Amino acid sequence: MSTSLLVPQHVAYIRALSGDSKHELSYDLSAHLRMNAVYWSLTALLIMGHGDALDRDEMIDFVMSCWDEEADILSLQQPSGSFAGDAFGETDTRFLYCAVNALSLLGKLDKLDVEKTVAYIRRCSNFDGGFGAVAGAESHASRVFVCIASLAILDRLDEVNQPTLFWWLSERQLPNGGLNGRPEKLEDVCYSFWVLSALSILNKLTWIDSSKLEAFILSAQNTESGGISDRPGNMPDVFHTIFGLAGLSLLGYPTLVDLDPVYCMPTSIIENMGLRKGWKALQRRTS
Amino acid sequence: MHNVKRHKQTPEALAEKRQREKSKIDEYLALTDDVLSRKKKQDWSNDAFELTQRLLQINPEFYTVWNYRRNILLNGIFPQSTPEQINNLLSNELSMTTTALKANPKVYWIWNHRRWCLENVPDGPERNEVPSMEWRQANWDKELFVAERMLDADARNFHAWNYRRYVLANMPTRRPETSELAYTSRKIGANFSNFSAWHQRSKTLVGLWESGQLDPIQSRDDEFEFVSNALYTDPEDQSAWIYHRWLIGSGENKAQLEREIQLIFELLQEQPDSKWCMESLVHYKRLLLQNHAQDSQTLKQECGELLSRLADLDPIRYFRYQDLKRDLDQ
Repeated sequence: MSTSLLVPQHVAYIRALSGDSKHELSYDLSAHLRMNAVYWSLTALLIMGHGDALDRDEMIDFVMSCWDEEADILSLQQPSGSFAGDAFGETDTRFLYCAVNALSLLGKLDKLDVEKTVAYIRRCSNFDGGFGAVAGAESHASRVFVCIASLAILDRLDEVNQPTLFWWLSERQLPNGGLNGRPEKLEDVCYSFWVLSALSILNKLTWIDSSKLEAFILSAQNTESGGISDRPGNMPDVFHTIFGLAGLSLLGYPTLVDLDPVYCMPTSIIENMGLRKGWKALQRRTS
Repeated sequence: MHNVKRHKQTPEALAEKRQREKSKIDEYLALTDDVLSRKKKQDWSNDAFELTQRLLQINPEFYTVWNYRRNILLNGIFPQSTPEQINNLLSNELSMTTTALKANPKVYWIWNHRRWCLENVPDGPERNEVPSMEWRQANWDKELFVAERMLDADARNFHAWNYRRYVLANMPTRRPETSELAYTSRKIGANFSNFSAWHQRSKTLVGLWESGQLDPIQSRDDEFEFVSNALYTDPEDQSAWIYHRWLIGSGENKAQLEREIQLIFELLQEQPDSKWCMESLVHYKRLLLQNHAQDSQTLKQECGELLSRLADLDPIRYFRYQDLKRDLDQ
């Protein structure tokens, strides 16, 4: 267990994912997640200030090799306002966020039917202040992130029942410092980002204990191979590594790069595009 | 990767594992290449259909292959099949994915594939030249059973709950909503901590109130009694408290608010360190202040004292209690 962030180990861990791990079965079985893994790895490295640790051209070539000329984001919006993930139509607020996020990065938000989209998010809101994956579904911290971040991009945070949501989000923290995603469930490092992003977009990060959460994330590091796992003692993976680091960045952990909680990308990139919203993270500490 | 214990591996063990895995990797990669190249060629044959099944049994997360499988059915197999054959094919798909679900209860693509199958069951068989809808009826009824078995295995699996709501809302012959209320009673009775079931209960009740099937006033009182059981059984489990807060709502009913405050106060006497008793008392007294007794200094003082105790008892949320305390004075 370590009480400080092991940056060199994490950088080595991520580099190894596209190197040594290629010889393992688990690498091939996760081929469908390759695009996600590129995003998670690159963002994790950028937060640690090591954006050059992976081959830039290789990543760009891979992303471009996945380009489907016929796919069109707007065609995925359903009559209800929700978005499907693909042509076969599974809907989830995750896909709605992907659509809003991508349209905003592309400068094409004017093509989106905002009222219809917001109306669907409203249907996914619950009495506890949170949001679910579809209308009627139980609140889940990851869907709170996608709905709050979508509303932030669309400048519609007035839709949120803030006092109730703050209460629900702050109750995600357990005595051991970790956060869970729903009432009476176990803590998990990835909720560090789902919960913190929403709290920071709404400027309420003080409602949880940041030093206890920070200690929890750090305790889930793998001191030997690098990487962060869901809970201390478990196998690390790049998904929990990025969302642990993202949480630490929002908590003001020293030396890390600022992360934009709306887009989960480095703040400087979003600021250069003129897309920064009014969120607040904790002040970056010097030591 | 969730909940996989870390284990140490020596370089020798790792090399051995790689050797062992090599033939599996080669086989898997060959199968993947075969399937993806057939997909590219728009091969809608039975052979291709079989191959997607083999691949999905090894890796049920490979969503591209699920999509390809559906396209083979739509473009290659259905056009050459009678409605009865289509029904049999889809029933087989449902059986195959039931097995897959038991091994992988949280894989989105499997649940998604079942939805698609259900929606594509033909209207037959025909009786006196009229579609009887019997196939649909049988398949949708079975689905509710599958969702229930999945919730028996993991009562908080939100995939299964979402799927259950989808089935209930779309089955050809809808079930009475009161039976869903009974289902949530059973799930909550089995475990008071099951917030997923409390959530479903709140949604079901709103439906019953809005359609006039239940009297909102009487039914709310019944719910207060139901939930107080759970509160007394485990006052530190937040599920029932969250539900209780929903029942109170914005606190327009003064008599109800005062009655519940009194009951929680009595519970606090028995459990003097109960965070959730204090937390709820503060919230309900604040509602009383906002709606019914704007200048009550006594209520403000009581809230202030409770918030101070909460800040000591539950230090991780210290600043929340401080903020609420400050709001009292404004």
